[in-house]
Parts: sequence; structure tokens; C-alpha cells
Amino acid sequence: MKTHILFLAAMLASLTFGSPVWAMETDECMECHTSADDVGEGNVIDGALFAQTSHAEEGCAGCHEVTDEHPDDMQSPTMSASCEDCHDVIAETYAASAHGENAVCTDCHNAHTALPPTSLSGLQMNESCQECHESADVEESHSRWLPEADVHIRSVPCISCHISSDKFVITLYVTQRQDNRAYADYELVNYQQLQQHVGDQSVTSLVDLDQSGDVSLDELSSFYSDNDEKGLRLWAMMTPEEVDHNIQTLDNRWDCTYCHAAGPDSMGNSFVAFPTVDGTYQRVPLEKGATLDALFGTPDFYMVGSTRSKILSIVGLLILLGGLAMPIGHGTLRFLTRKNRRKEH
Amino acid sequence: MDVQERIYLTPTPIRIWHWLNALGIVTLCVTGAQIRFPEYVNIFGTYKAAIRLHHTAGIVVALSFALWLFYYVVIARMMVKLYVPTTKDLTSGVINQALYYFFYFFTGTKSNPHEESPTNKFNPMQKGAYVVVMMILVPLVIMTGIVLMNLEPLREVLVLFGGVRVVVGLHFLLACALGAFVPTHFYLATLGHTPFAHFKPMWTGWEDHSDH
Repeated sequence: MKTHILFLAAMLASLTFGSPVWAMETDECMECHTSADDVGEGNVIDGALFAQTSHAEEGCAGCHEVTDEHPDDMQSPTMSASCEDCHDVIAETYAASAHGENAVCTDCHNAHTALPPTSLSGLQMNESCQECHESADVEESHSRWLPEADVHIRSVPCISCHISSDKFVITLYVTQRQDNRAYADYELVNYQQLQQHVGDQSVTSLVDLDQSGDVSLDELSSFYSDNDEKGLRLWAMMTPEEVDHNIQTLDNRWDCTYCHAAGPDSMGNSFVAFPTVDGTYQRVPLEKGATLDALFGTPDFYMVGSTRSKILSIVGLLILLGGLAMPIGHGTLRFLTRKNRRKEH
Repeated sequence: MDVQERIYLTPTPIRIWHWLNALGIVTLCVTGAQIRFPEYVNIFGTYKAAIRLHHTAGIVVALSFALWLFYYVVIARMMVKLYVPTTKDLTSGVINQALYYFFYFFTGTKSNPHEESPTNKFNPMQKGAYVVVMMILVPLVIMTGIVLMNLEPLREVLVLFGGVRVVVGLHFLLACALGAFVPTHFYLATLGHTPFAHFKPMWTGWEDHSDH
């Protein structure tokens, strides 16, 4: 009984704190397959990244089969499972989509690095699309019908419009001018660059100053006032929370008001995403509605129509009503005193 | 009996500019309302149509503003004379004009202290208002509009302004101020010696002056 309890405790600890989570036999594979010198570039696995994928739980043997003599027998491993064996619903959805005939799973995904969108930047989400779809072609085809196509392409990953998932959030990524040069383009910063700004503190402390695990409006405001001279800003993207594989041009996305009216319900939810040492992203939630605040929210995000500020709308209305003061006020007195002017004539 | 005198008050380029501007600004206000409040306003069918029309009207207004500026500064060389208030305008002119509009106009005891002529079209209050509208509000709303139409190419300007949210807020508030000017402008135009006396010269160029 005592052994059982110890075993369960060890399991729990490994699930909670353990960094690489994979089946035990996988350790053996990783002894060689993390070194390009041992197995060649094509067979190297990034262990830390693989450990973050849900595939790690299956371990290497979940998909690959090798002989007992591997690698001495010089035989290539065979596949013991295909993607469809586990992802049958996704495979069926994908096969029926407009994209189904154009690419197989492995054309877009590497099972050893496949992560959910919540662990990726918007640019990483686009990487597999860009394998086939040249950026210039994408911009050209979208410009034919989409106003501000370049802004949309920079702010919305392809899958936000080309899959039927409808749960979106606003994710803010830290950007910096290239090499911190004046007037250079802003680009996403990586973990090492971010580390230089925060020293020995966690990278999230750049925005989450009190390290409370969420970013308040005050902290967001402080980030902008403290980091302007360092060339740091936040770049917002509308990212999907889940990905289904119904890849197509969805009819409702032709209608701008799908996003630009009230917007999907979750649009008020936003996160600041920070790069991690292995190149993925960790998210820290932002105070609800903080990105939408007129004065202290992020100045770099605005979705016309859907993220308008209520306060500014009220001020605008008052200004417009002010324009009626002269016609109504003066006009009323003019009407009441009309006899005085008639007398003069 | 009144003696009617006709004067050529508004040259053709200015009339073209004025009505282009009027049509453009009304279009911008209506399309702008749909762009900001798509749930409540849907006049142009689709959101995209409203955006395209807003952009087109914005370009028309910007070009007509350039035409106006070019005409008055380069061709007529009357920009300063017509629009910039003189010291006299600021010290006594504005007060006399305000007294007329807000007091003597109602009592009917004094006539308008300002006499229109092609070289002195605007009273001191009008000059002040037009300097603010034409030299501050319109250029700023055009500039912020140009930035919002070219977010990617003009990213540096956007950063200089403080970010897209700041530019959008400025554009919206400036547009509201211009929108508020429209009913005031329209109403003040009815304060001539007849309610339509000031409308006619903006269409034909000629104004009938009534000499009492």
C-alpha cells in the first residue's frame, strides 16, 4: 500500500513539476535523437519542445516501431500509427474541406513540435501556410477585395478566418525596433532579447510588474510609459483559441461585420504573450476590457466598429449636440422676437 | 424703396469647392456613422461599401481642400485678407459682431455691423470660426484620415502620433467637431437680410444687396 502511495505521489509530481513528460521508453530514443551528430539533421528532435506537445504523452513508440536491434540493423523505423488513428474527427473534417486534396497532415504539422495556438505567436501559426502560400500572393489576392489587406494580414493569422472556429481573443506580443535602431521596423522579440530588458527577473515582469499572474490596466499603461525610449511596443493579433480543420474561405468572413460589429463574444478577452526559452509562448491574461480602454489601453490595437470606446462616443455625441445649440437656442429667440425686426423694416 | 445692388461675391472655383465639400462631408458623416456603429447604422448595404465610400469621399474632400487652398493662396492671393482676423477684428470687431448676433438682432435696434464685399466677405466672428475650422480642424481630420487609410506604409507617423487608437480617437472627435459645425453653418447662413440671401451667391456667385 505504501509503495502504491509513493508511486502515485511520484506520478503526480512528475505531472505537476516535471519538465519533459513522455513515456519512459522515449528517454532511450532521446539519448541519440537529440543530437544531430548521432542521427543526422533530419532525425533530430527538440526534446524540450516535443515534451510540450500532447504527442509526448504517447511517446515515440506511440507512432514509431523499431526492431530490437535498432539502430544497428540499419532499418528505418516503421510507422505504427497514423495521424487519423487518433485524430479521426479532425481527419474527416479536413478531408471534406477545400484544402483536403492539397496537403496531408505532415505537410503542415510536425508531430514533434505540434502545439496548440495558445502556445504560439500569430506569426508561427502562419508558418505552415507560408510553406505553400507566398506572402506576396496572399497580399495580392486579399487586396482585391479586402480593405486594408496589409493590416489584416499582419494582425490576423490565416486560420482566424480560414477555419470555422469562432472563439477568438486578442493576443499582444512584445515587439521592438530591429536592433533597437531608430525608425527600423518593429519585430517580435525572442526570449533572449526580452531577458536583456528584465535582467534576472521573469520575462513576464516586463508587463506584469507585480508578478501577480495577470496584467492590469495600470501595468499596461506603465509598460508604455517606461519602454517607449527602448523601442518596445505591443503588437496585437486576433488569434483563435481552438483550431478545427475545416479549412476554407468561410462565407461569413466575407462580411466585415463578422468581426467589425459587436465582434465574437470573447473579443473582450486578451492576453500578453511572452516568448519562452524554447521558442514557444506563454500567455498572461490582461484585465478584462483593458485593450479597449480609450485612454490607458494599448494604443496599438483598434478594431474599427467593434472596439470603439464608449466614452469617446459619448463625448462625440455631446460635441454634435453642441452644434445644435446655435440653431435651436438662437432660432427660438429669433422666432420669439420676429416682430421687432418686422417693425424695423 | 430698397435699392438693389448685385455684387459678384463667390467666384466659380470657390463654389465648386464648397459644394464638393458639402457633399463630401455629408457622405463622410453618414458613412463614418456606419463604420463606427455598424450595429445601428446600415445605409450602404455592406460595411465594405461604407468604408470604400468613406475613403473616396475623404479623398474628394482632401483634394477639394487643396483646390480651395491653392485658389486663395496662389491665384486670388486673398487668404490672409479674407480669413485672418485683424487686430481691430479681435479687439472691437468680434465684440460688436457678437453684440449684434446675440442682442441687437433680437431687439431689432441695430443693423449688422458687417457689410459684405468680395474683399471683405466675412465678419470678425466668421473669420475666427473659419480660421479654426479650415486651418486646424479640416487639415487635422484630413491628416489623421490619410494615416488611417495607410496604416502600414505610414506606421512611423502612427507611432509618432502615439498609436492607432490615439489617431482613431482624434479623427473621430475632430469629425464630430466638424459635424457640429454643419448645422451651425447652415443656420447662420439663414441670417442674411432674407433667410435665403446667403444661399444664392454660393450657387450663382451673385448676391443681391439690399440698401435700406
